[in-house]
Amino acid sequence: MVTLDERPQLIDALSALRDRVAAVRLPLPLPDTPRARQTRAELLAQLDDYLVPRLKDPDAPLLAVIGGSTGAGKSTLVNSLVGRRVSESGVLRPTTRTPVLVCHPEDHHWFAGMRVLPQLTRVWLPQADQDHPADEPLPEENALRVETASSMPRGLALLDAPDIDSLVVENRLLASELICAADIWVMVTTASRYADAVPWHLLRTAKEYDATLVTVLDRVPHQVIGEVSRQYEALLDKAGLGDVPRFTIPELPESADGGSGLLPDSAVAALRGWLAHRAQDPAARQQAADRTATGVIDSLDTRLPELAAAVATQYAAAVRLGGAVEAAYGEQAKRVRKELGRGAVLAGDARTRWRGYPRDSTADELLDAIVESLAALLHCAVSAAEEQVREKWRREPASEALGPVPPGGDREAAERIGVEVRRWRRVLEELAEEEVRTVERPSTSRTALPDADTVAALLAAALLGGRRTRPAGERLAELLGAQAALRLRDKGGELVLMYVDRVLHAERDRRLAPLQALDVTPEPQAELIAALSVLQKEK
Amino acid sequence: MVNVEGDAGPGADGGRRRRGDGDRESGADRGDGRADGRGIDRDRESSRGREGGPGPGSEQGRPGPGSQHGGPGPGPEQGGDRVPWDDGLIARRVSRRAAVADSPPEETGPREEDTLPPLGGHYGGPLRSRLDALHELVGLSRTRVESEALAEAGRVLDEAAARQRLSSRHTVIAIAGATGSGKSTLFNALAGVPVSETGLRRPTTSAPIALSWSEGAAGLLDRLAVPGRLRRRPLAGGAADTELQGLVLIDLPDHDSAVTAHRDQVDRVLGLVDAVIWVVDPEKYADAALHERYLRPLAGHAEVTFVVLNQIDRLGTEAADLVLDDLRRLLDEDGVALGEHGEPGATVLAVSALTGDGVPELRDMVAGFVQERTAPERRLAADVDAAAARLRPAYLADGRPGLDERARDAFADRLAVAVGAQAAGEAAERVWRRGAIRACGTPWLRLYRWYERIREHGSTDPHLTTPAEDELTARQRVEQAVRIVADEASRGLPTPWAQAVREAAARGAEGLPEALDELTVTIGDAAARPPRPAWWPAAVLAQVVMTLLQIFGALWLVGQIIGLVEPGLLPPVLVMVGGIIGGPLVEWACEGAVKGPARRYGQEAERRLREAAAACGRARVLDPVAAELMRYREVREQYATVVGTRPSARIVGGGRAGAGRPGATRTGIRGR
Repeated sequence: MVTLDERPQLIDALSALRDRVAAVRLPLPLPDTPRARQTRAELLAQLDDYLVPRLKDPDAPLLAVIGGSTGAGKSTLVNSLVGRRVSESGVLRPTTRTPVLVCHPEDHHWFAGMRVLPQLTRVWLPQADQDHPADEPLPEENALRVETASSMPRGLALLDAPDIDSLVVENRLLASELICAADIWVMVTTASRYADAVPWHLLRTAKEYDATLVTVLDRVPHQVIGEVSRQYEALLDKAGLGDVPRFTIPELPESADGGSGLLPDSAVAALRGWLAHRAQDPAARQQAADRTATGVIDSLDTRLPELAAAVATQYAAAVRLGGAVEAAYGEQAKRVRKELGRGAVLAGDARTRWRGYPRDSTADELLDAIVESLAALLHCAVSAAEEQVREKWRREPASEALGPVPPGGDREAAERIGVEVRRWRRVLEELAEEEVRTVERPSTSRTALPDADTVAALLAAALLGGRRTRPAGERLAELLGAQAALRLRDKGGELVLMYVDRVLHAERDRRLAPLQALDVTPEPQAELIAALSVLQKEK
Repeated sequence: MVNVEGDAGPGADGGRRRRGDGDRESGADRGDGRADGRGIDRDRESSRGREGGPGPGSEQGRPGPGSQHGGPGPGPEQGGDRVPWDDGLIARRVSRRAAVADSPPEETGPREEDTLPPLGGHYGGPLRSRLDALHELVGLSRTRVESEALAEAGRVLDEAAARQRLSSRHTVIAIAGATGSGKSTLFNALAGVPVSETGLRRPTTSAPIALSWSEGAAGLLDRLAVPGRLRRRPLAGGAADTELQGLVLIDLPDHDSAVTAHRDQVDRVLGLVDAVIWVVDPEKYADAALHERYLRPLAGHAEVTFVVLNQIDRLGTEAADLVLDDLRRLLDEDGVALGEHGEPGATVLAVSALTGDGVPELRDMVAGFVQERTAPERRLAADVDAAAARLRPAYLADGRPGLDERARDAFADRLAVAVGAQAAGEAAERVWRRGAIRACGTPWLRLYRWYERIREHGSTDPHLTTPAEDELTARQRVEQAVRIVADEASRGLPTPWAQAVREAAARGAEGLPEALDELTVTIGDAAARPPRPAWWPAAVLAQVVMTLLQIFGALWLVGQIIGLVEPGLLPPVLVMVGGIIGGPLVEWACEGAVKGPARRYGQEAERRLREAAAACGRARVLDPVAAELMRYREVREQYATVVGTRPSARIVGGGRAGAGRPGATRTGIRGR
């Protein structure tokens, strides 16, 4: 059981947990990602806005958040509880877009700072006097209006939240965030809404967190008040919320837009009394705050593993995406090696050149043709790998996070491959030159000093022509001597494999780069679970 | 029931309305038993129908003279002061009301109901052809487009066929809305009697209830799966109902309560009805559940949509106007076209079902709408629009698909490289020239070249023989060429069709390298055996003569030296010099003469190989790809017919529904 005495270890554990949750990133759009993102946002909101501040300052005023559907009369209820119009009410839905916090003037310092709801900018409108309603809320995003009213009991703050179910999406998000920050959840519903699906969802959440909950059945026409509240009670009972305090407020002309917009005191006296009792009676206060805090901490036991599982799913998806790329390129690398061994480079143009060599084609032409053919083979392999990757990624929803394949990528790849293969050619030529320079010529040789170009061309043909170019190897041996030729061929073979691997790896890494930029790792999962177990020990 | 015409006796049409399914309904109703017998005298009414009406099967809806006296007086609580009224009056009233309801009446004079254009059996031309095109489209693309996209279109076709088979005289309108908005109360207000149970228990209505103003709707209700016990008839005395003849009203359960079974029922029925009245109330009109789940996706159905703001009695007049404007603004943001200023679109109005405020207006609008009898057609047209919008990504993409000449040429070029056409041509040229030069060259020069070769390559036969070859064509180049041409062809195609094009190209490419190998072999190596031109013997002869001259001159000189021949230095020297100069001269001349023919020969060889390869590629790859593209074009034409030449507003609406963009076309109405 958590007590509201200061508990440094618990706070430390929670802070650590909070950092772990904040560090979780869910970049891949998987089917369960929206839910996990929401879980993360809720957890952060609850830890930042509620749990940590509450444990740090057990004496801070209780925060009661008035939440409910659009048009349920939340603002009217807050105004009536305060006794003046602090929050704009009206007939247009949704009415409240900027949340309003009302507290006793002496409690103001608790909320003026960034202790709770740090992400909301405070808007301070001091000159909202009794007769005139407060000005139009500033059209500022993420603002919180803080009002003070001496009619409020000390130690209690009311927060008028936006609706939970209107068309304005930001409202819904903000509302759920605010509700997470509450010590006391005040759920407002109406005679025509009490069976709506959305508020019931919220009620079930409250039950799950075991929050201190009050329900208000608002805007009930006089003539049906008995029956409707009976119905509602039955529904609450069925949902296992039978012990939740219920307050019923009849529909009065003031609920709509007539008069001052305030309900008569008698209508809200019971609710105000209940809230004031929670705020002022130490035992009740302790119980109310404790219950919510304990509930939230307990709920972490199920919600954190859920988030951790989502992280694991993300990692699995990232591995799957990366694996598809690796597999495709690996397969193509294998294929390229096989083709090289088969002498597939020496086909078409290169083959004709080879057949014409040395009578009808020069060494340069032969080398050119071989280099081009090798580039074509590599380009073909890369294109095939890309095609495979595209095919596999199309079935992975997570790949959407990596953006579309840029157009013209194929041509650029061809250029990159061309550059790399030409570099290989240069290295090969240098190798040949060096060999020719250092070759120990047998004195009995009746042939002239071999030309470096010839050696390079013969070497390229011998390396890439497979079975077909055995004569090339023999010629090399004739020209340079068997040992030198063998040495040259070994070096050349290494060079070919090195450059082929370099090309394929470079293309593969280009493909993987956006995935790696997302930096999806498995560590946050373990860290989350570890932080949770630390917290469980401290509890 | 609000009836402004005091003289309109509702009993007039009591008899003729009870026919057809009257027996079944009455049976069912009696069995049900519990119904609020206070309001509905349906038992009485239907039995009356059996007694007094002409037999079943006679022309329904015609106000036969005999039927006027078939029934007893009006219902107990419904204006007993009404007297029977004749057909002309009915007709005039109909047309007048239709005019009030802002619906174009076909004529202003008296109108016989059975002279209305019979829509049964066929829909108007445009819709018919669009449905046919959709049918065709589904058939053509079944193997290519994934099934779930087509399933929706298939469902639309099925529904169109099903609706078509059923009565076109009826218009089925559903009343939908959130729990507690007063659907059932409005339903009862329109019916004039409490048919549907209203209450405080939320949700109240749990199954759809049907109310049909004229018989013959049994088939329609069967389609909606409304059980017999939930089929109701309005009061016999509802005289104003003449104008509602043909209306079948369905009261739906809510769509937003915690009972999800209700939502499923609503979703099912909404797919089948001809028009929908959405009931919203001041509390709930901005609910996300309504706008995001229903109004936005159904924005294309604006013409068959009524949006009714109920419970205005809870608001002041000014507040009601404010809320109504805000509702219009929200609808506009949903992309729902609003039917104002004579434009087609959704009808928005405020009523209070409880006090009856605005109900007569709604009734008039519904009446006009029903009498137009175009709702089923419009609904189907909107369905087709929506289906077309959903299918859009499968049929339309930006970019002009097709292979242009450039891509085809590039493909042929790549294949030519793959078979080595250029190298082969050059080789042929060189072989030819070499042969010529060798034939015509001076013997001394040939001797020198032979020595050079020996020195350089170490053997007399520098031709490095290669073992038998099986793969003459560069596989990777062929593969790449096919891939590029397939990419080129599928650029600008929707995904399924791009896939089909790629598959066609891949299929064609399967045997292509082997075919090209064979081709190369068949055409033969042009370098292997170059032909000899006719002038070669002459050139060779000339060279031989020159050599002989040299030898002859030399011999002559030698003869002089040893004294066999008379001395005389000049002639033999001249002869020898002539031979020495003439030999290279002949060779040089031959070389010059051979250049042109050799190049031509090489180019010819290259061209032959290239053309053969291109023809092979065309037959195996380009033609199947072109056929696939042709099929796509055909399908796209069908799709264009499906989209149709509807007024742009509708297409925009459909597209909007599909894309989920908020509509911003109409800015006329804004909340204050």
